[in-house]
Amino acid sequence: MSAEQTRARILEAACELISEEGIDGIRIARVANRARVSTSLVHHYFSTREELLTDALMLAFDLAASERFGDEAGLVEIEGAGHTEALALAIDQCLPDLGPSEHEWTLWVELWLRGARDPELRPVANRLYQRYRGWMLSVIEAGVDAGEFDCDDPERVADLAIGVIDGLGLRVLLRDPGMDLERARTTVAAVLAAELGVSAEPDGLTATGALV
Amino acid sequence: MSPRPNIDYIRRPQLITAAMEVIVERGIVATRIADVADRAGTSSGAILYWFDSKDELLAAALIEEDDLFYAEVTERVATGLTPAEQLALLIEAASQGGEWALWMESWSRALRDPEAARTRERQDLRWRAVIAEVVSAGQQSGDFRGDADPGDVAATLASLMDGLAVQVSLGDPEMPPERMVALARAVACEQLACELPQPEPALAEPSRPQATSAPAPSVVTA
Repeated sequence: MSAEQTRARILEAACELISEEGIDGIRIARVANRARVSTSLVHHYFSTREELLTDALMLAFDLAASERFGDEAGLVEIEGAGHTEALALAIDQCLPDLGPSEHEWTLWVELWLRGARDPELRPVANRLYQRYRGWMLSVIEAGVDAGEFDCDDPERVADLAIGVIDGLGLRVLLRDPGMDLERARTTVAAVLAAELGVSAEPDGLTATGALV
Repeated sequence: MSPRPNIDYIRRPQLITAAMEVIVERGIVATRIADVADRAGTSSGAILYWFDSKDELLAAALIEEDDLFYAEVTERVATGLTPAEQLALLIEAASQGGEWALWMESWSRALRDPEAARTRERQDLRWRAVIAEVVSAGQQSGDFRGDADPGDVAATLASLMDGLAVQVSLGDPEMPPERMVALARAVACEQLACELPQPEPALAEPSRPQATSAPAPSVVTA
């Protein structure tokens, strides 16, 4: 195994453990055990537990973000789909997808907790939010430029979008009986539709079922 | 008969307060009974006398934080204000939201512990009910548009404020507390077709220490 592969394997093991047990449960020895390497090898790549945690979170979000935010232009080129559908699709991509990929959202919540407590992790969290905000903004601006959205402050709408998506996504992830994925989607659509002058009805911002 | 003597009334709240402080600083997992005992100026044995386990102490601390916030908010909105003034106050109170780091602890716990998930759900329902009540009152008085569902408006506002509070707690330069308030107010006005008054400065004073290192909310500009 190359050094790079070993490092990647350690980070992957750390991500799995964070997702299963939370950030606080992470110990070097357990990560080593999960990655089936020695603790001294983990120490060779990561001098402290903090460094391992930070790198693991960054990696997880880098992968998720490039998958999700990497190709905003592609979003609006779905055949026959306008900017309203593109935004609806973006909302769907951001809300938690319960099942095998929900661990990504669990990591996201762990990042909040850790960042709120540990100022050292805040620049990482701020950077991830910057990218998230920028991606949402580009989807909204594309619709404004095309004349499909009526909105004089796209940045404000992008902020609203990611705020309401995070708060609702948390409830979906926690399997809140009062907030399933469908209701979360309808709620985000209602907020953004009012801001952008489009319909929140099934042929508008919530119309992504067929596209996803 | 409880074997516990009368000093229960003095001791328990002190221990809970000490636990809240230590959890905010260290996080739940890193908090030890001994740390809470140190903070409260007592012994670990004394804590275990009132609480059967560390988990019980922590759960009590999280519930206490929520009760304090709720008591303070309901007291403040019940003082002869109009529904619009009450809603403005709720938004203001949430932006000063007690200890957001504690809420986030409870979210993280809720992901892994069904009992913690039920507690969080109860707290969320209570908060949403407070908002929904104010919305209903405003609809009855004709201040807010009548066709909005109070439960939907409450779910939207509570979720939006949670999501924005995350960024505030992370010290995001793009999301100072006053922007969080402005955005929540804008959504409330949009959904209820109303205008919200500026909260009076005296009412907007934070009454407890601020969470994390986020700057204290200054003048609201929404």
